[in-house]
Amino acid sequence: MELIILLICGGLTIITSLLVIFARNTVHSALWMVASFFFMAVLYLLLQAEFIAILQIIVYAGAIMMFIIYAIMMLNLRQEERAPMRKTKVVGVVALLVLFLELLVVAVGRGLLAIKGPVTDQLMAKFGHIAVLSNFLFSDYVLPFELASILLTAGVVGAVILAKQKSE
Amino acid sequence: MVAYHNLYLALSVVLFTIGAIGAITRRNAIVVFMCIEIMLGAVNLAFITFGRANQSVDGIFMVMFVMAVAAAEAAVGLAIFILMYRKRGTINVESFNLMKW
Amino acid sequence: MFDKVWLIPIFPIIGVLINGLLGRRIENINKSIIHWIACGAVALSFIVTCILFFQMLGLPADQRLYEFTWFDWISGGVLHTYVAYQIDPLSMLMCLFVTGVGFLIHVYSIGYMETEEGRYYRFFTYLNLFMFSMINLVLANNYLLLFLGWEGVGLCSYLLIGFWFSEEANAIAGKKAFITNRIGDFGFIIGLLLLYTSLGEHGIWTLRFSEVFTHVHLLSPQVATAICLLLFVGCTAKSAQIPLYVWLPDAMAGPTPVSALIHAATMVTSGVYMIARSNILYSMSPFAMGVVATFGALTALFAASIGLVQNDIKKVLAYSTVSQLGYMFLGLGVGAYAAGMFHVLTHAFFKALLFLGAGSVIHSMHHGLHKIHSHVDAQDMRNMGGLKSKTPITYVTFLIATLAISGIPGFSGFFSKDEILWQAYSSPHGHFILWLIGAVAAGMTAFYMFRLVFMTFFNECRAPEGAEEHLHESPKTMTVPLMVLAFLAAVGGYLGVPHALGGSNRFERYLEPVMGLGPEKLLHKAGGAVAQGAHAAAEAVHGAVGHAAAAVHEAGMGHMAEAAHHAAEHGSMFAEYLLMGISVAIALVGIFLAYTMYIKKRDIPEKLANSYPFLYRLLLNKWYVDELYELTVIKPLHGFSVLLWKGVDVAIVDGIVNGVARIIGWFSGVIRYIQSGYVQSYAVSVVLGTVVLLVYYIIKAIS
Repeated sequence: MELIILLICGGLTIITSLLVIFARNTVHSALWMVASFFFMAVLYLLLQAEFIAILQIIVYAGAIMMFIIYAIMMLNLRQEERAPMRKTKVVGVVALLVLFLELLVVAVGRGLLAIKGPVTDQLMAKFGHIAVLSNFLFSDYVLPFELASILLTAGVVGAVILAKQKSE
Repeated sequence: MVAYHNLYLALSVVLFTIGAIGAITRRNAIVVFMCIEIMLGAVNLAFITFGRANQSVDGIFMVMFVMAVAAAEAAVGLAIFILMYRKRGTINVESFNLMKW
Repeated sequence: MFDKVWLIPIFPIIGVLINGLLGRRIENINKSIIHWIACGAVALSFIVTCILFFQMLGLPADQRLYEFTWFDWISGGVLHTYVAYQIDPLSMLMCLFVTGVGFLIHVYSIGYMETEEGRYYRFFTYLNLFMFSMINLVLANNYLLLFLGWEGVGLCSYLLIGFWFSEEANAIAGKKAFITNRIGDFGFIIGLLLLYTSLGEHGIWTLRFSEVFTHVHLLSPQVATAICLLLFVGCTAKSAQIPLYVWLPDAMAGPTPVSALIHAATMVTSGVYMIARSNILYSMSPFAMGVVATFGALTALFAASIGLVQNDIKKVLAYSTVSQLGYMFLGLGVGAYAAGMFHVLTHAFFKALLFLGAGSVIHSMHHGLHKIHSHVDAQDMRNMGGLKSKTPITYVTFLIATLAISGIPGFSGFFSKDEILWQAYSSPHGHFILWLIGAVAAGMTAFYMFRLVFMTFFNECRAPEGAEEHLHESPKTMTVPLMVLAFLAAVGGYLGVPHALGGSNRFERYLEPVMGLGPEKLLHKAGGAVAQGAHAAAEAVHGAVGHAAAAVHEAGMGHMAEAAHHAAEHGSMFAEYLLMGISVAIALVGIFLAYTMYIKKRDIPEKLANSYPFLYRLLLNKWYVDELYELTVIKPLHGFSVLLWKGVDVAIVDGIVNGVARIIGWFSGVIRYIQSGYVQSYAVSVVLGTVVLLVYYIIKAIS
């Protein structure tokens, strides 16, 4: 059952991602990306990371995509102008294909999956997913958590300052 | 219970590559930005997979922070795009070679 | 007072500084200040030299050596060189006539260069610089300072030959002189280095004369021979001997006072001085002495033969100078150092006089031709004639000098030349053939000198129409030096009247302290030292027979030396008279021939030229030596240089450099893309880096 959903959602994620990068129309790209994020959220659910799946939809599909759509709307960019591809980009694409193979080699290697930590599925099921996470978040990860909030504040302030600059 | 971790990781690699190809080939800055989001998503997927495989919550927290960074990045990045557009009338990344200095 | 010797060189250098730095302004104010400064400087040097000279004469002969160290020059490692001067009979003699003749010629130049505008100060600056260098050369107490002077006079020679450099021929002549001298100096400096290192092997790191000569016996005969020959290479250039004499005739392009001072009286004799100074060194190597004598004799004959047919008045004198220098080397080569130096002295007088007289003639001719706007060559004797009545003082003085150089008894040249010829025959290093060559050359000398006199001063004037009445005697500044020199040329020889003529050869005795082994002493030692030396020389040379004949011959002579000594005691008087008579007779025959050919029957020269066209052309074109050098040295060298230039430099060296530049340029063009400024290009770099890193880790994980 998991395998079937994984294959379907995985396939759809790949297709929608491809559509994101190949769509000529920027708005279409953005919409395909929303779809892509939805399918990815399904995958998170499959991995029993319900909290992340929710976040994915709220933050990405909700907040970030709204930014993007607004930006597209304000800049009135529908079509990307056509031009021949640069040589460096060709090199980059070739290098990325090599990188792809290399990453696959690394990913299927067993070494990374060998360690077993304390947070088992049973633990999650017993105490509840969110409870376990918040326990960790406000104890071990409290400092990064606070730093993340500072980062977000700084991002907001920066965005406002940048966007408010008058063009002369 | 059979774990399909390898499949998840392979999917992550595929998505990462797709995002990266888009990021270096597309000219529209906003599309490039979206491609980077795809790459981040792929990385998030890998993190979650590792976290689950290793029975650890580190993966999940990593993803949370990545999302926080992505949100901040989106705010600042889009503000920069608007600024660029005001100055030059375009957000084609090939029109900007400001990184020379 | 001896410690004031530094005053001698300091006056001319002060003159150089004043005239050289401020000359242009001084000349604009008043021209005469310049020559007052220049002549005054030399006159002061001359006076100081005279005082020192007479003071030295007051000392006993064996104490006539004083070394004055002025200041450290180069001190590093084992090399310690000082600017130090040496007062001894030889250096004082040289200094005396260098400053004396130099002073006269300075005075003469005032008249000769009077028409020179704008370059007047430069001329006197160079002359003073020359005096400074020459004084350093002769007063130095070490080889390095001598070499400094040696180079300095070469530089001044170059500057003065090309003084009228706006004409290309003069500039080329200057270059020729300079380059030829460089070849010689190359040999010279190698000789010096060899001397320095080979003495250093024995722990004596010095170039100081007194130390070198006291330790010179430590050298092996082979090394001594090599050093002597290398030093002699320097002499062949500086003193215009075969094969490097070619620059001297061309050096006549310079102003005539320069020819007189530098290229006749002083600089060209510095080679003779150097060998005389190094006589102890040379005495160690009979082979080298043989080479010196042979080259000297050949040069004397060779140059004289060219002088026979030249038409340019200064060229004749130039070849005469080369020839006379050959005599000096002949004298040195047979061990008659004092005789060689004696000839240097008398030659300085009469040859300077000849040149100055020729200068006076040219000056007058130039003036006359200028008046009628003629462009006829003012130096060509074919345009002269009949100047006897026009320029009487010049004529009389010139005639005295001619008699002196021809070796007519009573005049200075006779004593010195016959001393050399006698030594060439009688000394243990001498040989009959050397004497014969010298005597024949003496005859030729008499012939061409009188030919010159007859063509210039006798017969009718062949100058272009109208120029004749403008010919007149030169100004006082020119004639007075002529008269002084004429007096010296006439009586200078009485300093060294040989024993045979009832004299006591004071000159030789005067130089005895310096000449460690005078010819007389040498004769005594001949049995031992010479035979030893000759044996070593024969060993060293082994195969080189040809020129070495004279030297190798000594191996036999050694045994006979003792006998020869006895024979000399009794038979030498008669032999000396006989040889003297023969050489005088040869000279008289030469004069008579000249008289016949250029006064009595003036069609003979032309007939001779027509009947022996080949010989005539050969002599007129100076044996084609310049052409030979052109063909054998310059052309191949030029070709080789072109090969180096086009082949090695342009193709290989430049090729490498340009190639590197092009590769770097190409490579830069490639890596320029790294810093394109485009974000996506940088992203590609990141990807590439990641690829490489992953390859590394994967390989590491697998293996």
